[in-house]
Amino acid sequence: MKRRIVFFTVASLVLAILSLWVGPSFSGETRDFVFLELRLPRLLVGALVGATLSLSGAAFQAIFNNALATPSTVGTTAGATLGALLALSLDVGGGVFGVSVLTASAFGGALMTTLLVSGLAASGKLSKNDVLLAGIAVTLAASALASGVQFASDARALVAAAQWSLGQLPQVGYRGVSLIAPFAGVTLIGLLALGRPLQNLALGEDLAKSQGVNVTRLRFLVLLVASLGVAACVAWCGPIAFVGLIVPHLVRLLVGPSLRTLLPLSFIGGAAFLVICDSIARIALPGRELPVGVITAALGAPALVFLVSRSRRE
Amino acid sequence: MKLTLQEVSIVHSARKLLDNVELSLETGQLLALVGPNGAGKTTLLRAALGLLTPTSGQVRLGDAVVAGLGPRERAARVAWLPQHTSGGEDLSALEVVAAARFRFDEPFGVSAREARTALARVGVAEVAERALSTLSGGERQRVALAGLLAQAAPVLLVDEPANHLDPAQQIEVYRLLGELWRAGKSLILVTHDINLLRHLGDAEQVRVAGMARGKLAFESSLTAPDLPEQLGQLFGVHMRALPLDGQRVLMPERPA
Repeated sequence: MKRRIVFFTVASLVLAILSLWVGPSFSGETRDFVFLELRLPRLLVGALVGATLSLSGAAFQAIFNNALATPSTVGTTAGATLGALLALSLDVGGGVFGVSVLTASAFGGALMTTLLVSGLAASGKLSKNDVLLAGIAVTLAASALASGVQFASDARALVAAAQWSLGQLPQVGYRGVSLIAPFAGVTLIGLLALGRPLQNLALGEDLAKSQGVNVTRLRFLVLLVASLGVAACVAWCGPIAFVGLIVPHLVRLLVGPSLRTLLPLSFIGGAAFLVICDSIARIALPGRELPVGVITAALGAPALVFLVSRSRRE
Repeated sequence: MKLTLQEVSIVHSARKLLDNVELSLETGQLLALVGPNGAGKTTLLRAALGLLTPTSGQVRLGDAVVAGLGPRERAARVAWLPQHTSGGEDLSALEVVAAARFRFDEPFGVSAREARTALARVGVAEVAERALSTLSGGERQRVALAGLLAQAAPVLLVDEPANHLDPAQQIEVYRLLGELWRAGKSLILVTHDINLLRHLGDAEQVRVAGMARGKLAFESSLTAPDLPEQLGQLFGVHMRALPLDGQRVLMPERPA
């Protein structure tokens, strides 16, 4: 088991760093520029976003005791999409707080929906399935509103919205890194720090309570801390599918369900996975870039099916 | 630490799960709680743990009301071995026992060391690294007992610990519980199988309380002469008492 953990960590780091060299080669000053100003910041954004989505997914699967929970389960992505669509259809230019209205609006939408759901969870009156249902209800409501907005939008806004909804890592130097890092930092440090009580929760809710875990507070904290980072990621990159669902499952199949290893390795694995997918997106179509969300789904889904079927046979 | 239930009632959807239950367990006492299915035995344990809040009355642990204790303070006073320990993640025995150390707020290394000590004390040190799903029923129950030990609370609430175990493992689990009892723990032990209680040792010190329909029906001791009749009434059977090596075995028969 220890060897698997070390292997997984080293392989993730090496592959992620190697991805800097993936893509057309340049020479001289251009090379330095492409390396330091384009690929390196993009690697950092990819790593931050991948780590945040994947770690949040692992934490959500733990608090809901549900293998299908994702960072979007509590309405984060639907809220961000609604916010983004509003900005696109109203065609507001300019920016607020140094980011485009589109990003700010998506972030606001994501925070609104998740605060609503985590507020419900904080009341302590709802079971985990009630919270899950509330998340689905909020997602549906936000999607319905988004459809309404789409219906009223013009063709240009619709195309822009469709592009946004595919999810990609934008090419914009270190701005994205500095914008996402504070939020993602809170998420990553916060969730890793909650590994211990999450482990107790994984053994059963009532048992965890009897062992001294404040389960209501734990759920609320995880929802809040995770959603902050996820909202920032989704606002900046659009919804990137599958990372938060698949990476924790891949890690679990490789090293087992203990949250003590699952959380840190989801962090590392998520970062590496998205960075690798992004480099594939760079070279898959010559002369064009695929949205990274297409690659994550195309790669992640078969990998998961393969691993699940293999583990069933063992 | 003394556990007291004072006039505790719990009403759920107009049904009285607990009906004015009055019970106290002094430090170092052992109480076997028996009664037919649905009598409220598990509900009583859950109320004592603070997992259920009494509709009226209160539960006290030492000088504090359970409902007013923080989760960690509560875990420092009372630990629980639930009836069903399955359904959770398939972790290694060591991780499961180490998780029971949550209340101590200590580094994982310390928890792991304490967990190994606890596993050794219940005789399954060698399964530490194995996943729960690969263990036998008896081994799994010992791992759960190691968790109780690791939590290091003075009051232990144990719910049907020998269910689904083979006879050798049943006796072994009761023998281990008897050791914990003699080491100074207070225990409430929910069971259907009155004959297993003699494997705890000190039979005359074992208190027996019968429960039916949310109420305490009687309180007695394992060696009391009228216990067979009280149990017979409680379960609606004819309980025959057969002497065996100076002790007595109870055999339920269909009522005449």
